[in-house]
Amino acid sequence: MKIRKNNGLLKWVLIIISFIFLAVFLILPLIYIVVSALREGFSAYIASITDEYAVKATLLTLQVTVIAVIVNTIFGIAAAWCLTKFAFKGKKVISTFIDLPVTVSPIIAGLIYVLTFGRQGPIYSILDGWGIQIIFAVPGIVLATIFVTFPFISRELIPVLTAQGTDEEEAAALMGATTLRIFTKVTLPHIKWALLYGAVLCTARAMGEFGAVSVLSGHLRGKTNTLPLYIELLYQGYDFTGAFAASSLLVIMAVIILILRLILEKRGKKELDICK
Amino acid sequence: MKRKSIIPGFGLSFGITIAILSLVVLIPLCSLVVFTASLSPEEFIYTVTRPRVLSGYFVSISTALIASLVNVVMGLILAWVLVRYDFPGKRFLDGIIELPFALPTAVAGISLTHMTTTNGWVGSVFYDLFGIKIAYTRLGITIALIFIGIPFVVRSVQPVLEKIDIQYEEAAMILGADRVMTFSKVILPEIMPALISGFTLAFARCIGEYGSVVFIAGNTPYETEIAPLLIMSELQEFDYPAATSIALVMLAIAFVILSVNAVIQSRVAKRVSGLA
Amino acid sequence: MGENNEQAYVELKNINKHFKDFHASKDVNISIPKGRLVALLGPSGSGKTTILRMIAGLEQPDSGEIIIDGRVVNNVPGSERGIGFVFQNYALFRYMTVYDNIAFGLRVKKVPENEIKDRVMELLSLISCEGLEKRYPSELSGGQRQRVAFARALAPNPQILLLDEPFAAIDAKVRLELRTWLREMITKLHITSIFVTHDQDEAIEVADDIIVTNLGRVEQAGTPRELYSDPATPFVARFIGNSIPVKNFDRFNFFEKKNNSVTAIVRPEFVSVFKKGENLRYPKSSEEAVVEDIIFRGSNLEIRVRLHDNLLSSVRSINEPAISVGEKVDVFIYRLFVIDGDDISLVSNRTLNAESVVI
Repeated sequence: MKIRKNNGLLKWVLIIISFIFLAVFLILPLIYIVVSALREGFSAYIASITDEYAVKATLLTLQVTVIAVIVNTIFGIAAAWCLTKFAFKGKKVISTFIDLPVTVSPIIAGLIYVLTFGRQGPIYSILDGWGIQIIFAVPGIVLATIFVTFPFISRELIPVLTAQGTDEEEAAALMGATTLRIFTKVTLPHIKWALLYGAVLCTARAMGEFGAVSVLSGHLRGKTNTLPLYIELLYQGYDFTGAFAASSLLVIMAVIILILRLILEKRGKKELDICK
Repeated sequence: MKRKSIIPGFGLSFGITIAILSLVVLIPLCSLVVFTASLSPEEFIYTVTRPRVLSGYFVSISTALIASLVNVVMGLILAWVLVRYDFPGKRFLDGIIELPFALPTAVAGISLTHMTTTNGWVGSVFYDLFGIKIAYTRLGITIALIFIGIPFVVRSVQPVLEKIDIQYEEAAMILGADRVMTFSKVILPEIMPALISGFTLAFARCIGEYGSVVFIAGNTPYETEIAPLLIMSELQEFDYPAATSIALVMLAIAFVILSVNAVIQSRVAKRVSGLA
Repeated sequence: MGENNEQAYVELKNINKHFKDFHASKDVNISIPKGRLVALLGPSGSGKTTILRMIAGLEQPDSGEIIIDGRVVNNVPGSERGIGFVFQNYALFRYMTVYDNIAFGLRVKKVPENEIKDRVMELLSLISCEGLEKRYPSELSGGQRQRVAFARALAPNPQILLLDEPFAAIDAKVRLELRTWLREMITKLHITSIFVTHDQDEAIEVADDIIVTNLGRVEQAGTPRELYSDPATPFVARFIGNSIPVKNFDRFNFFEKKNNSVTAIVRPEFVSVFKKGENLRYPKSSEEAVVEDIIFRGSNLEIRVRLHDNLLSSVRSINEPAISVGEKVDVFIYRLFVIDGDDISLVSNRTLNAESVVI
């Protein structure tokens, strides 16, 4: 057709601009990390990533990520279910509060936890009496991570459940199905791709969170240092090879996440189209 | 409160939602409010109007603004290329755009920093040829923020561009409009709301960004010190009132930006849907 | 077309068009005289919209010539062919007011703003939408949107108006009103107009001439009456009017096989049903049949009778004596279309041979 003709030049100019822009801003930094990590040879690289503190930081990051994803999955399903299958007042307020955390600077997220659980707050003395420490300890890191990834799963589920409507659940309920049965047999098949997609996004952010965790971590090497904090420590200690080697682990995770995201997004879109 | 529904699970899902929401979001927010109430107005004003703090706000806002504007232009080009053209490597381009979401900010931060120092891959080229320093300048901050903001505009504009009916362009063409006019009068108004929305999201994210910026900024007071870093330093000195004061202003800025966007979006929605 | 003696204004010669493997237009030849209102009628996928879009310059034919007013326009952009186009979903610019929508084509041509204003106001009054100029498309009813799209297409004074399924997006009730309106408008403006439709009633009611398309080919072009009474192909006979297929018409009284073909098409108007004892004009050539169903059609009754294993339909006035289901009746068939491969011919009941055929 006419409109799409005659613009061969413009087309290729724009495509080339796009490739150059993304190559410089996205791909070059990735390559740079890999090259820097391997600068001192493969054995130095292996030594860096198998360093005692590197392993501990990796394990802590995985632990925090798993907890955050589990909590947000439970929350995401509950919130999506109650916001889409029932009509009640205050829905808008609840969804506003759910979305709020992503618009807050991670540093401010850390700050409000410090204010809540810090020494000057009323909760501190109660928890301290029970021997529980939140800030500058692992629970604080976990809470901060949950906070920054809070809406990631519910936000993926809500559009699918809204599009799907309530007819199928009502039909199942009329036939006498139990809550568990309705959820696993009727609802879950609709939302499984969206759920996985949300979990992938949540994992990505949880593993990489820096600002909020930085505020709440006591920066104790081997105890409260997650992988990103450990990288910071190495970088500021001029151990660039170590920093980039540890970074390369997160790059690998990021690449896996991007691939998973592409696959899941395709499946999820299909499901949404079916519902619509 | 609850409309009678045949679907079970309201109590359970509502309970879980409110419990987790309270612990993660509501209680910390309340403590921020309580703590804010205890601040004296004089102290608050004094803190946030200190030249160093004002300079921090200026650096954060100006770099975020420039980075977001760059991303509006590049995001539009990327979205256009992805929606309108077919070319080899398209899927790769589409997937890599999400990298800033998947790659931990600290990792991006050290990589961009190390690349752009005066003896880094990119930094040395710019320094030797043009005498331009990137790392440890506001230019460096802006580049880190461009990295962070890339997906926002693309992902806002892309779905809207996909949905524009080709008939609009055909209609404009038959009425004699050339390509520039068709784009500016017909396509641009259609995608404007999405562009504004993407800009707002990128901007809100950028002014609060910490992880990717803190390394490249160099953190020279009055020069490259960003507002989130000021909060961080106050926190490290356990000066919670000062940290909270600086944070409140940033929250207010973010709130204003997001509200302006919400108003614009709802006006546009009214015009398009015809609901008064 | 019946008006072949008239000078063709829009002409398509040997047009072929493929979309990848799909042959959308096959040797299309069309000739449309100036000032006519023509319908392109066919089922979906028959290539009618492709023809319209090629005339508009929105698609390029693979081969063949498009001629407007004696000039080959294949390489002339759509905007310079002197056409106005009304899109199926109107494609009104959502972010422009009614005024700006109608003015768009004039502003493109750098017409002075005061002339634009006069023209827009003139068109608004033509489409009876005065006072709506500040509204946005979303604030209009479906009928108003169509009128505005019509006005926008007319604003630059095109010589030809092209409309793609102009009534498809409108409620059934408003549709009838708009048909009449559009016909009156186009007749008044005396602008050569071509519209695409898949609805035969719409085409018959609105158009001066109809071009029937099927599987990328033009089956027949002519006035609605010509298509109805003298279909050139079995497809046209089936597509226009109410057509009932008959498997073995040679078993009907006074009809004979033609070239070994025994299939035919019978329209309800070709069949009369008489109550036993009613005054028959052709008692000998009538046959006895059983009423299977009676459907009330508002102003008349459709009587369905079974005759030699064929279910035939006939229309009967509600003023005539009532017939009931199961009743034995006399059926007389005046004529039918015999189908022989791709050929079609009208065959009359031999009893009528002496009389002239009037439908």
